[in-house]
Amino acid sequence: MQSFHIRYRNTQGTLMRILNAASRRGLDLPYVQAEQRESDHQVVLVLDVNAKQFGQLHREWYGIADVIHVGAGSVHSDAWTGHHPPSGVTIEQQRAAARA
Amino acid sequence: MLKGADIVLQCLRAEGVDLVFGYPGGAIMPLYDALDGSGVRHILTRHEQGAVFAAEGYARVTGKVGVAMATSGPGATNLVTGIADAKMDSVPLVCITGQVRSAMIGTDAFQETDVFGVTLSLTKWSRLVRSIDEIPDVIAEGFYWARSGRPGPVVIDIPTDMLKAKKEFSGPVKFKPHARPADAKADGGFTDTIIALLQQPSKPVALVGAGAKLSGAIPELRRLLDTLNIPTFATVHGLGAVVPEAPYYLGMVGMHGTRAANMALHETDLLLVFGARLDDRVTGDPSRFAPHAKIVHFEIDPAQLDRVRPCEIPVIGDLAETIPAFESELRRHKLPDFSGWRSVACGADRAQLDPRGLAQPTIRFLDELFSRLPKDSVILADVGQHQMWAAQRFNSGSPRGFITSGGLGAMGFALPAAVGVQLAKPDTCVLCVSGDGGFQMNIQELATVHRLGLPVKMVIIDNKYLGMVRQWQQLFYERNYAETDLSDNPDFVDIAKAYKIPSFRMKEDVMREFPVSQETGDQIDRFLRSPDPELLVFDCAPEANVFPMVPAGAALSEMLLEEEPTQ
Repeated sequence: MQSFHIRYRNTQGTLMRILNAASRRGLDLPYVQAEQRESDHQVVLVLDVNAKQFGQLHREWYGIADVIHVGAGSVHSDAWTGHHPPSGVTIEQQRAAARA
Repeated sequence: MLKGADIVLQCLRAEGVDLVFGYPGGAIMPLYDALDGSGVRHILTRHEQGAVFAAEGYARVTGKVGVAMATSGPGATNLVTGIADAKMDSVPLVCITGQVRSAMIGTDAFQETDVFGVTLSLTKWSRLVRSIDEIPDVIAEGFYWARSGRPGPVVIDIPTDMLKAKKEFSGPVKFKPHARPADAKADGGFTDTIIALLQQPSKPVALVGAGAKLSGAIPELRRLLDTLNIPTFATVHGLGAVVPEAPYYLGMVGMHGTRAANMALHETDLLLVFGARLDDRVTGDPSRFAPHAKIVHFEIDPAQLDRVRPCEIPVIGDLAETIPAFESELRRHKLPDFSGWRSVACGADRAQLDPRGLAQPTIRFLDELFSRLPKDSVILADVGQHQMWAAQRFNSGSPRGFITSGGLGAMGFALPAAVGVQLAKPDTCVLCVSGDGGFQMNIQELATVHRLGLPVKMVIIDNKYLGMVRQWQQLFYERNYAETDLSDNPDFVDIAKAYKIPSFRMKEDVMREFPVSQETGDQIDRFLRSPDPELLVFDCAPEANVFPMVPAGAALSEMLLEEEPTQ
């Protein structure tokens, strides 16, 4: 499992384009969290990808007009297997809970 | 105070648009109402798909942004195939669609479709306009994204009330993109790495794709290839980028590429790719694509890297910058002598089609047509067998001289695209080659050709089959010709006459003599030089096949040169 952290300007359709890059490859989206980050937005995705998809997604997301930055890191499995966090719970809180 | 529709048109003019293609309807009526006197000429096609393909043809031959307009609902959804086509083939395109009134959006109103959502995965950028105030910024940004980087399609959806509303208008605006500190760009170091690779004993080859042409760096590319002097081939969209007479040029590569090109690509140990995305029609089985090669990939769009297999040296950036940088650096170095490898790759035993293929009447017919074309003519090919025959026999060094729907493979593309090409190049001979299947997919555009009096030269290669599908059925489905029989085609000569377009039929037997008779030659010359539109229907053998052919899932080295004898 791989977590991706994508910063983007929250313009029309940008989040949908980010998600579509994963869904068009038939990837499940077990964890998605989008939220405002300072003046921009960030979406965290956890995906089961192989090395080729990792590279393809990274570059495809970066090619979206209003994407600012794409980062990636591995995740603790508990951080994504739980239910989608309720509104108001940040990914950091979710991760902290998973590590506790 | 100006209406939103007037603002749209003024913004289009500011982007250099003087020609748009479209089809009117309810939600976009205010924009049509404002056309008169706007300085924007509108070309009425007979279907929205015709409009978007015509806009594509215009864009492909000029390099400018093509513009298509349609109304909401079915008008917008009829654009979708052209939008997908523009995405695949990197065509700068802006589609402006009318939308139902803002207050009605989301109510499943009459002719309401979420075109923004429908086209989200097909567009490079899109907007649903939410306020008349947004119009100048949205149009400026849309054009920026359509033409920047790897060009592509943009959709701007405008509710009808925005087109009718009025506001003070201070003039069009310019879009300034946000800078991204991490934007990838090749630094100068790549040249040393590639030159070091070239210094090693190797079998280098060069593959040229559409990106080389889109960059505008054709003179620099040709100088570079002359300096390299290594076996070189092109994708279907790269045709025309390389001077065909160059001694190192091996023609088209891929599924229906030349044997020489495919064998060289299979054997190479250093592959230089210039602006090609290496799709499956070029690579064959990806796991056996250029199996011995290191790949150097010159590419403007990082998303195109490593799609099929990893490249060792990505050179990210506009080829207009990276090719000249490489070329000037390369000239300061002495390259090893590749003549031994070159003579193998370009040897006479490889650099020809099999004799049976050359003798095929349809190939002879295309050779006759192409050899008699005026200089700098533009050839459009639809999709299917005739497309591959035309690509194989294309023999011009005109970079924008061969236009086809390559990535999407959209049948029905060529005729409306030829309308756009002819409007962009009124003094150029435009030859549109279609099959009998594809021609009927946008046959209504004969009316557009007639109305405008465009001297498009249309050819139908009529084999009374969906020929490419039938070929696959013959070779891989035990001749089960399921639903590919078109033997009940209408008489295309009569159809053209109904549209008041002159037309005639040519039997393939006339191509069995070599050289062709004076009479046949004169007939072709008259056809190509007529100042009027004209249709030539060429009767093709129903079971003629395109060879060489790399079967799906095979390596490039496993191409079929001719069909297996029938048991």
